[in-house]
Amino acid sequence: MELVQILVNGLMAGTLLAIPAIGFTTIFAVLRFPNFAVGGLMAIGAYTGLVANTMGGLPLLATLPIAFMVAGLIGVGSDKLMISGLRPSGPLAAAIGTIALGLLLENALRFVFGNEFRTFNIPPVRDWRFGDLRVPPHQVENATYALVIMAVLFCFLMFTRSGKMMRAVADNPALAGLKGINAVRTTDMATFLGMGLAGIGGVLIGLDVAIDPLIGTRTMLAVFAAAVVGGLGSIPGAVLGAFIIGLGEELALLAVAPTYRTAVGFLAILLILSFRPRGLLGERRY
Amino acid sequence: MKLTRRAVLSAGVAMPFIGRTAFAQSNTIAIGALTPQTGAGGSYGPSMVKTIRAVVDEVNAAGGVLGRKIELISENDETSPEAGVRAARKLIDVNKVSAILGTWASSVTTAVAPLCWENKVMLFTVSGADSITQLPHQGFIIRTQPTSKLQSTRIAEFLLSRGAKRTFVMSAQTPFAVSGFNTVSEVLTAAKTEVLGHVIYDPAKATFRSELEQAIKTKPDTIFFNSYTPDLTTLLRELYRLGYEGRKHTMAYAANAKLLEALPAEVTEGLTSMAPSPDVDSPVYKKVRDILGTSDPDPYSCQTYDHITMALLAIARAGESSGPAIHGAVRKISQGTGTKISSAVEGLKLIAQKTEVNYEGASGPCDFADTGDIITCKFRFDVAEAGKNRLLGIS
Repeated sequence: MELVQILVNGLMAGTLLAIPAIGFTTIFAVLRFPNFAVGGLMAIGAYTGLVANTMGGLPLLATLPIAFMVAGLIGVGSDKLMISGLRPSGPLAAAIGTIALGLLLENALRFVFGNEFRTFNIPPVRDWRFGDLRVPPHQVENATYALVIMAVLFCFLMFTRSGKMMRAVADNPALAGLKGINAVRTTDMATFLGMGLAGIGGVLIGLDVAIDPLIGTRTMLAVFAAAVVGGLGSIPGAVLGAFIIGLGEELALLAVAPTYRTAVGFLAILLILSFRPRGLLGERRY
Repeated sequence: MKLTRRAVLSAGVAMPFIGRTAFAQSNTIAIGALTPQTGAGGSYGPSMVKTIRAVVDEVNAAGGVLGRKIELISENDETSPEAGVRAARKLIDVNKVSAILGTWASSVTTAVAPLCWENKVMLFTVSGADSITQLPHQGFIIRTQPTSKLQSTRIAEFLLSRGAKRTFVMSAQTPFAVSGFNTVSEVLTAAKTEVLGHVIYDPAKATFRSELEQAIKTKPDTIFFNSYTPDLTTLLRELYRLGYEGRKHTMAYAANAKLLEALPAEVTEGLTSMAPSPDVDSPVYKKVRDILGTSDPDPYSCQTYDHITMALLAIARAGESSGPAIHGAVRKISQGTGTKISSAVEGLKLIAQKTEVNYEGASGPCDFADTGDIITCKFRFDVAEAGKNRLLGIS
């Protein structure tokens, strides 16, 4: 029964992790560098949702599109202001720039909201019990939101013109350029989408835990690990990676104390980079 | 020698210091107060000095000690070890104090203590860290705040009194986590009850669900949270979701008004907490209440009232005002079979008549082990009901 509980917890954790991991990998697919500011934007999203809920009195579902828009716009704005100038110097300079940007956003939040933990204005509800198995209703709700968002994203990428443009640039930027696809517009769209998803991820994770400015940074390692395990730039890979990391972190509890759980992310990155550098579903080496 | 304008000015600037030091050495007894007037402890420092000054004024009005007036020199440690050391140097080197009273932060006390024992100056402190009295202080530290060991013992005894049979302990990752658990565990197992386990968690984490599931799995009837307010807020919410119905206990500094405000009443319902308490029934406590003009004086101001009283009584008992004299006499006036007293003036009269005294203060009985630690003190226990703390008792 304990194993079933661990599997349930792992699947829930994986679903929540998948949204920001898709955001991270989408930006990588189009822009070809790891954008670590995703952590900062997750925190922006979480606080946006929090303000909309606790001060604006909006229901949770309504906070998700707001967090998406705010995180997406701040993501594109800060990218234009700080990162786009670094991109010609290569992916390493851009990646380092995004670490600085993430820290900047995090400290801006700290300046406005302080360091204390905050929570959404929702009454705590007791878990559903099936014998010894516990399933938290709010986690089921969050996981449902995450699955719906993934489905919408899939439709967007498969069936809309903008989605096809993004996939074309991700697949072969040079060929896409020859076909007349506007590279700047597509990269802006990818950044908006990726950061918006990070914002939604921040809200969903914030619903599950308490919110402080470090909420994104704390989750960033797992998000990065999920994207690397699945294959950087592969959206189905990010989802698969998120489930593997989510389940792995929970299964690790069978062997080690919870304090060491975060080591699973490090270990997964190390193993994948050693034996399959392109990740499980990745098509290219990096 | 030619009397230049510069020489006259230098002499003028130096004069007050020479006079003051000489005066302090000859006619008065210099005592130093080193409290946090600013920084994290800034809200306690002013009232701590106020109680010390009240005792000094009262004793001076009654003729002083050994026929000499008491001169109180108060310095601000800024709740910073660096500022604390600078201020302590001034108190010791310039003011020639025989005792320093009231250091608050453990970091300040740890930094100031070596200066004190090396210069044979008595240090009275309200800091709680176990490590302080483990320093090689040669008896020059007296601590009125209970150690974390004493606090852990009382917590375990309280849990037993509430009927704990199967206890699980969750501790934030601190230097006291393991030693605190070991003490609680010793007391609980000695009473033939079960200690089911101990989880040390990282308080900076945003969720503790796995840690709590580990606890719940063992089916405890009591969980003790050695936590701080932010992590306890998350822990209690998740504990409620998990459907736990047993007892939960924590420290009062974690279960404060802020926590009770942040969580729905049903989540905190029944949470018990413990804090060191002044002896609210003692006449000295009532006096401190009058001095500070509040019905609920903080424990530190009660303790500094006791610091100055004990220092002055020890000087009178030893017949001299040096640090080693206080060192040698402080236990002779604070414990033993002497006449129980509750004020410095009352004690000074009895000591003058060669009567043995035993001071019982605002903070408690003021009995000390050889290490300098207080042997026993009172604790208050509260329970959260409908979102508010209700006093269960003081013992």
